[in-house]
This record gives sequence, structure tokens and C-alpha cells, in this order.
Amino acid sequence: MDRTRILVVDDNPTIRKGLSVRLRANGYEVLFAEDAISATAALVTERPDLVILDLGLPCGDGFVVMERLHKNDSLANIPVIVLTGRELAGNRERALQAGAAAVFQKPVEDGNLLFAVRKALDNSRGELRFDD
Amino acid sequence: MTEPTRRTSELAALSHELRNALACIHQFGNILIDGLAGELSGEQREYIGIMLENASKIRRVLDSALDGAPEPIEKCLNKIERASGRET
Repeated sequence: MDRTRILVVDDNPTIRKGLSVRLRANGYEVLFAEDAISATAALVTERPDLVILDLGLPCGDGFVVMERLHKNDSLANIPVIVLTGRELAGNRERALQAGAAAVFQKPVEDGNLLFAVRKALDNSRGELRFDD
Repeated sequence: MTEPTRRTSELAALSHELRNALACIHQFGNILIDGLAGELSGEQREYIGIMLENASKIRRVLDSALDGAPEPIEKCLNKIERASGRET
């Protein structure tokens, strides 16, 4: 069975590295993008199972990425988890309205992020679990 | 830009930078504690624990001074729960 592929979009290479170590240790394959343009390209070419998305990005921002994602019918079902250093006031509701499955502010507890990843993947696959 | 608006913008930028730096400390400290980069001695675990504890203190100061308390997990996930249409 193919491993679940997660696209990590963040312009901070240390954040990308830390997330990749944690996600790989939990059995996920990790792809990277560092700006809004490369994130959009990776969505189309790689079609990941889930995206962990920063909001503050070069060449656009996380909202631009989500807008492009949801305008494309073949990509629209890919769940997005927002992980941002921005203040939550305003950004959280805006991100949820833009289609984010969950929104976290940095630094996030690893357990909370992994829980959200599992829930979002289960929802996108129609495999709801009620034992969490 | 008015002075209060400029000040708010500066504080938001400061918070963003501090949160990214804290996230890196938090991520890699926990990676080490969890043994993902190899086994640690008891003394090494203790010292990294001290580092993480102090990073958490900085986070709490940041939360209370700039951004408010962090959202509970249930609130972070509410879209998922809403999408599922069922309570978990």
C-alpha cells in the first residue's frame, strides 16, 4: 500500500525539516514547497493526500494557495491544515471559511497536529473514526 | 499609517518571528526527547527537558502579552467536526 503523502508548505527551512522528521517518524511521506507558486505547482503535479500550510509565504500567501486549490475540482478534496505564526484573531475564521480542515498557531503540540492530520485524512477518505 | 496601526503591525511581526523561532526549538527539542534522532542519556534528556520547559514559559508570556491564550484542540478542529456532521 502506498504511503500517505503530505505536502509541507512553509518558507522557513527549519520548520520544514522539523515537521518532516516528525511526520516521517509517523509513517508519512513528506513533500515540500517554500512559497505559494511552488506549492500550487506541487499540488497539481504531486497530488498529495494532505497539505500542512503556512499562511505567510513569498509569492502570495496561504490564502492564495487555498483559493487555487479549491477552484480546481480535482484538487478541492485535499484537506489543508493551517499552521501559522500569525495571530489567530481574524486569520483563524478566514482560514476555516477558505476551507481549512484545522488551524493551529505555532508552536503546535506534535500530538495535536498528528491528531488533526489523522482526522482530516479520515474525513477526506470517508473513514470517520469515533474512538479518538 | 497611523501610530497605533504601525505599532500593531510591528507587534504582529514580532509575534510571528518569535513564534517561528519557538516552533523550531519546540519541534527539535521534542524530536530529541522522543528519541527520533537516537537514544539519549538521562542527563541529556533532563537538559533538553529544561530547555523545552523554558521555551514553554516564553510561549506563555507571548500568549498573554501579544496574542491571547492558545485555542483548545476542539476549537482548532471545529471545521472537521462540522464537516463530519457528528460529535466525537
